[in-house]
Amino acid sequence: MPRFDPAAHALSINRRAFLTQSAYGLGGLAFALLQGKLAAATASGATRPAGWNGVLPQAHFPVKAKRVIFLCMAGGPSQLETFDWKPMLKQLHGEPFPESFTQGQQLAQLQNTVLKARGAFTNFSKHGQAGIEISDLFPHLATVADELCVIRSMQTEQINHDTAHAFMNTGSIIKGRPSMGSWLLYGLGAETQDLPGFIVLNSQGKFGLQPISARQWSSGVLPSRFQGIQFQSRGGAVHYVGNPEGVCQSTQRQVVEEIQRLNGFLADEQYDPEIATRIAQYEMAFKMQASVPELTDFRNEPQEMLDLYGIKQPGDGSFASNCLLARRLAERGVRMIQLYHRAWDHHGEIEPGMKAGAKDVDQATAALIKDLKQRGMLDDTLILWGGEFGRTPMAQGTGRDHHILAFSVFMAGGGVKPGVTYGATDELGYRAIENVVNVHDLHATMLALMGIDHRRLTTKFQGLDVRLTGIAGEVVEELIV
Amino acid sequence: MLRTGLRVSIFLSALIARSAFAAGTPVAPTPALPEVVSFNRHIRPIMSDTCFLCHGNDAKSRKAGMRLDIREEALKPTKHDVIPIVPGKPEESEIIFRINDTVEPMPPEDAHKTLTAYQKAVIRRWVEQGAVYESHWAYAPLTKPAVPAKGAVNPIDAFIREKLAKKKISSSPEAAKSRLLRRLSLDLTGLPPTPEEVAAFVADASPGAYERQVDRLLASKHHGERMAVWWLDVARFADTVGFHGDQNQRIFPYRDYVINAFNANKRFDQFTIEQLAGDLLPNPTPEQRVATGYNRLNMMTREGGAQPKEYLAKYGAERVRSVAAAWFGSTFGCAECHDHKFDPIKTRDFYELQSFFADVKQWGVYADYKYTQNPDLAGFNNDYPFPPEIEVESPYLAQRKERTEQELRAHLASMREKLRDEKISGEFERWVADARTFLASAPGGWQQPPVAAALLKGGKPTAKGEVPVGEMQTVAVGRNFAKDESLRLTMQPGAGRIAAVRLDVENADTAAPMKTKAAARTALRIALSKRTAAGETQKLAVSFADATEKETRYDGGAEVIGIASGWKLPADTLGRRITGVWLLETPESFEAEDQLVVTVTGEAASSLQVFTSPFAAANPLEIAAPAWRDALAATAQKRSGKQHELLIETWLLSTAADRAALARCQELMAKLRDLRDGRAWSMVTEAVEPMALRILPRGNWQDETGPVVLPATPSFLPGRIESTAEKRLTRLDLARWIVSRENPITARTVVNRLWQIYFGTGLSAVLDDLGSQGEPPSHPELLEWLAGEFRDHGWNLRHVIRLIVTSATYRQSSSLRPELREIDPANRLLASQNPRRLEAEFVRDNALAIAGALNLSAIGGPSVKPYQPPGYYAAIQFPNRDYMASEGDEQWRRGVYMHWQRTFLHPMLANFDAPGRDECAAQRVVSNTPQQALTLLNDPTFVEAARLFAARLMGSATADETRMRRAYQIALARDPNARELASLQSFLAKQREYYRANESDAEKLLGIGLAPAPAGDRAELAAWTNLCRVVLNLQEVITRY
Repeated sequence: MPRFDPAAHALSINRRAFLTQSAYGLGGLAFALLQGKLAAATASGATRPAGWNGVLPQAHFPVKAKRVIFLCMAGGPSQLETFDWKPMLKQLHGEPFPESFTQGQQLAQLQNTVLKARGAFTNFSKHGQAGIEISDLFPHLATVADELCVIRSMQTEQINHDTAHAFMNTGSIIKGRPSMGSWLLYGLGAETQDLPGFIVLNSQGKFGLQPISARQWSSGVLPSRFQGIQFQSRGGAVHYVGNPEGVCQSTQRQVVEEIQRLNGFLADEQYDPEIATRIAQYEMAFKMQASVPELTDFRNEPQEMLDLYGIKQPGDGSFASNCLLARRLAERGVRMIQLYHRAWDHHGEIEPGMKAGAKDVDQATAALIKDLKQRGMLDDTLILWGGEFGRTPMAQGTGRDHHILAFSVFMAGGGVKPGVTYGATDELGYRAIENVVNVHDLHATMLALMGIDHRRLTTKFQGLDVRLTGIAGEVVEELIV
Repeated sequence: MLRTGLRVSIFLSALIARSAFAAGTPVAPTPALPEVVSFNRHIRPIMSDTCFLCHGNDAKSRKAGMRLDIREEALKPTKHDVIPIVPGKPEESEIIFRINDTVEPMPPEDAHKTLTAYQKAVIRRWVEQGAVYESHWAYAPLTKPAVPAKGAVNPIDAFIREKLAKKKISSSPEAAKSRLLRRLSLDLTGLPPTPEEVAAFVADASPGAYERQVDRLLASKHHGERMAVWWLDVARFADTVGFHGDQNQRIFPYRDYVINAFNANKRFDQFTIEQLAGDLLPNPTPEQRVATGYNRLNMMTREGGAQPKEYLAKYGAERVRSVAAAWFGSTFGCAECHDHKFDPIKTRDFYELQSFFADVKQWGVYADYKYTQNPDLAGFNNDYPFPPEIEVESPYLAQRKERTEQELRAHLASMREKLRDEKISGEFERWVADARTFLASAPGGWQQPPVAAALLKGGKPTAKGEVPVGEMQTVAVGRNFAKDESLRLTMQPGAGRIAAVRLDVENADTAAPMKTKAAARTALRIALSKRTAAGETQKLAVSFADATEKETRYDGGAEVIGIASGWKLPADTLGRRITGVWLLETPESFEAEDQLVVTVTGEAASSLQVFTSPFAAANPLEIAAPAWRDALAATAQKRSGKQHELLIETWLLSTAADRAALARCQELMAKLRDLRDGRAWSMVTEAVEPMALRILPRGNWQDETGPVVLPATPSFLPGRIESTAEKRLTRLDLARWIVSRENPITARTVVNRLWQIYFGTGLSAVLDDLGSQGEPPSHPELLEWLAGEFRDHGWNLRHVIRLIVTSATYRQSSSLRPELREIDPANRLLASQNPRRLEAEFVRDNALAIAGALNLSAIGGPSVKPYQPPGYYAAIQFPNRDYMASEGDEQWRRGVYMHWQRTFLHPMLANFDAPGRDECAAQRVVSNTPQQALTLLNDPTFVEAARLFAARLMGSATADETRMRRAYQIALARDPNARELASLQSFLAKQREYYRANESDAEKLLGIGLAPAPAGDRAELAAWTNLCRVVLNLQEVITRY
């Protein structure tokens, strides 16, 4: 059976190359070039970093992070009850919100209403040596404050959930743009052949649920092999990864082997390089089938570990369980792990809503950081925690509306400066005014931490060099160790 | 030639450039320069990729005042007083100096673009040869070139062979007949040929045998289904709106329109006009209006807090991108914010094109929220559809309705048969007599027992709960129910049976409830129970209910039939009495002391009266209708057949004399009602006063400083038409211009995309961009000729398809030729056919057809839902979504009918590269992934198909080898060879051994899917099922060779 060649695999994916090269697989010339290229890089000691097998032949920057865990707080948590402490706003609570701030700005559900200030319902205190301000809703995160790099000056361009998610994940609201995880997989490949390189896990809270779309982990114009694979919280972990009922693993193996053998016969009769690729893909598929049960078998996780994360029932689809699964995926070499927790759209009843949401994620997020650290994996695992936008300092009844001019996220590990608070909003938390970081900047910085110049990870589509950061994005050097 | 740090896409575009050059020169490590350098072939692709970003069409981003995309500009001195290009004098040309400069090289470092030595040499030679520009091939007027005169019968072969001959390459031999027919069937219908069709074709040695197959397959009604998959991607057809809650939209008749259009070989110009502007044609037919659903297939939102104006801008921009991609093969997207960098598309072009659609009736946000009020859509919730829509006949539904009616008639006939039994006929006649007696006392068929009324809170009586009962047993609450409140009506109907309950509702002047805003109103619901004298309560289930007047309620975008789940009282019934009737699932016998309790919740009508009847009817509003009363009055001897039938039906429904027969009857009647008389709604375009459309500076919808624009066709295409102050152009003008002789790009776009179906790659490989960033065609003259042929033959798609598939080029063997790997790595010269993996829908169709399970009985109809992993829609909300796999034969319909959920596309479709259809998708990626393997191995659709295939084989022969041969003939149109047979034999032996030892596993495997497994040897069927799984997974099965 032909051995699966990751380099050929990686190169055959470029869309344009695909169109023009597909007939013979890689053209001989192209292949020679690629191999020469790789050989040259190796010979000169130049840097194709260990574990890279995507289209990027070498790192553009020092590789700090090897993988990303994006804890997406879907719905848009309030920055004013998490990381952005605004005493002045609290004083102004219930008073009209100064018009000087809001004139001409885009609003969502507060359109055509009288705007009133809403102060944080929580208190804040300083934590860790760095004295990072964290709201009382997150006592566990407070214990890892010195690992966090909090950005309080985020801005986005999209004020509705669907488009804001698209922007946060793909850097564009035009449909068909690849998501961040797809870009990483395309550029770097994965360190595992037994699992998909980009995995998505979903969980949901009690209040403030908003729908999400598989578009958010779509590979868009990149080939579908780069799409995020959604693990199910119940049932088969991955679509179609489980054998049919009544087919045991050894029977399935026989089926796959028979397919491989017959496909091999075909390759003798018919000159078509896709046959060899197909054979390689069945081999990978079978490996996935074999490795997923082990992956999702939590029995060898000790009780202390479950307690650390606050897991009631492993595999129950909770955010906590997903965090532990994320760590197991990270250990196995998955490049991008994205957790969505749908719980943060608090137009009303923000107090119970935020409390419940914080309870869902606080302990498990802190546990993930601690767990990765104790395993020595925090250094090369980049964690991003945040929503698709923030919330207004103005009240919407008992809640807050969507807000794009200011919100907070944090990163941890993966070469990010620990114990840092970066950027600031004005005294009412309405607008980021100091060290503003927009979504493109965040993406550029994340890619830089992975060793990638965001301007140099591109694919051709409809005549454009499409990239994650569109035509914008600056690396925020101050955040990098 | 590759230096360290070179960017990946440069690296790859260098490769691509090579394959493009391969057309002119054999690709060797150092390719020879073309003798005559062509701007379009050689220079434009380089300049477009490396120069035009700063020196092209977009004035705002132009650097140093240098413009290279237009010759006159490139020959003028720049701001810095240098001359970019001096024809014939490379030494004096600034561009030649700069591309070789090391101090200030062009392109600059920070562009991350590098020219190869070869590219520099080509540019230099082009300047030497006089720097001759050519207008971009795709935008130039279309003139049909002459066919090379080398004796080929089919002009396509003449073009292809001319080029091959220049390279001294011979064509490949014709494919084997069996394989050829499989190829042709899959390409023209998306279905494999039957072994009988293959045998007949192989045996047919007469002249024209192949052409007759082409004609047969083109005439097949499945040809339209195949072509629809091609067009529905372009039209971004989907069953859901795509944004946020991704609600269902009603649009399937548009898909029927597309299928029918291809089946009728509708002229492409007509097809275009109807979709873009069918509503503006004189006296448009329903079909033409359905076609305009095209303009409504943009994504839409109902998200609370979304800004209508912002979303109108999004919808408008998407329409421009999709129309331009569909008919121009152009990428207008960039021009929303700035002039296109590479193509001559101005921002103004973008908004002028959008302006044609400014009359499309639509809403930015499809709901009426308090923060974005929208009185047009008052009362709309997440279950509502997306107007405007029209109701049309659906032949598919009408056909099913007729079938169901037949089933119902047959069922009733079987009841008549039963009446031959004297005992049963005796019961029947007794019922007739009793019914006459009842009617004598209650001539309308309804009685009104005295009623007691009480208001309950949380189901419990309240202190002041008694509600007075007025004249004629009228109960008036006089106000809306408070939260948790309900009204309990108790009566004692007397001994006898109750089959139906009726509520008459009248709105008095003081009736505040029925005047409340539509949005605030809920629906009236009732619960029925029987309370015996002993105090036992028994709930009475309702099978169906309906009302004389009701406001439509929706569930997941579909109209709710009847009022059993709630009766939304119309707002405008003030002073009129309206009636609702509830049918009991099982007619219930009451003793004299038993009470009937009717609990009303949801909405309090101002006054109510309750009636009961011992009779039921298919239509609850026709209980004891005059015709039925006549039938009842007639003596047994004088009853007509029809009357007899009617009485039997009523007897069955009213007495539950035969429970099983009643249930079956109710089931068929429910099915009939769901078929809605064979009618269905479809979104359409409705023209309104065009909204003013401005150029949005940098695409910013909040910026109103840009000039207002009027409709006009793109400035860079020939034959431009523009609006004037007196006459505003319409969508119809646009559509007619698109398919006019003057517009060259549509014919090119369409034939190029057609070519891709039959060869795997377009003549220009980038199907969605014929612009300067796309690829110059491999055979420019052939593309021109085909485009001209298409236009000049009345935009006849089938003419072009027939030309292509009857060509010798198409009929070649698809075994690629290793000796050409270096010369023509992408097989663009077509010295052989290309193997082509089937598209997602046809992967499914093919497997089901092989299994003998594919339902090909009808064309068109609503979307169907194949098995899908449970919980896959868990993250969809507003409303929450359940996925119920289709039952009955609808489970096995073709892939083209699969429910298309934009935010969560069916995993099988997604894994096989079907696009989400959020926007126009002219080109599907073809990938080869582990997910595809997992789908074919484990998706219940394919496992069930394997089992059905196994049963099919086992039903036709007994010897293993015969069955295996049959399996290959069905699946691959060929016989297995000796080593394949041997391998399968040994595989089968192992499977048999396993399942004989593990019967329970066999049972489990055979239990997958809805189709029942035949009786017989379980282990044997399971073993064969796994053998069939192997076959359905073969590369050869999912590929058309």
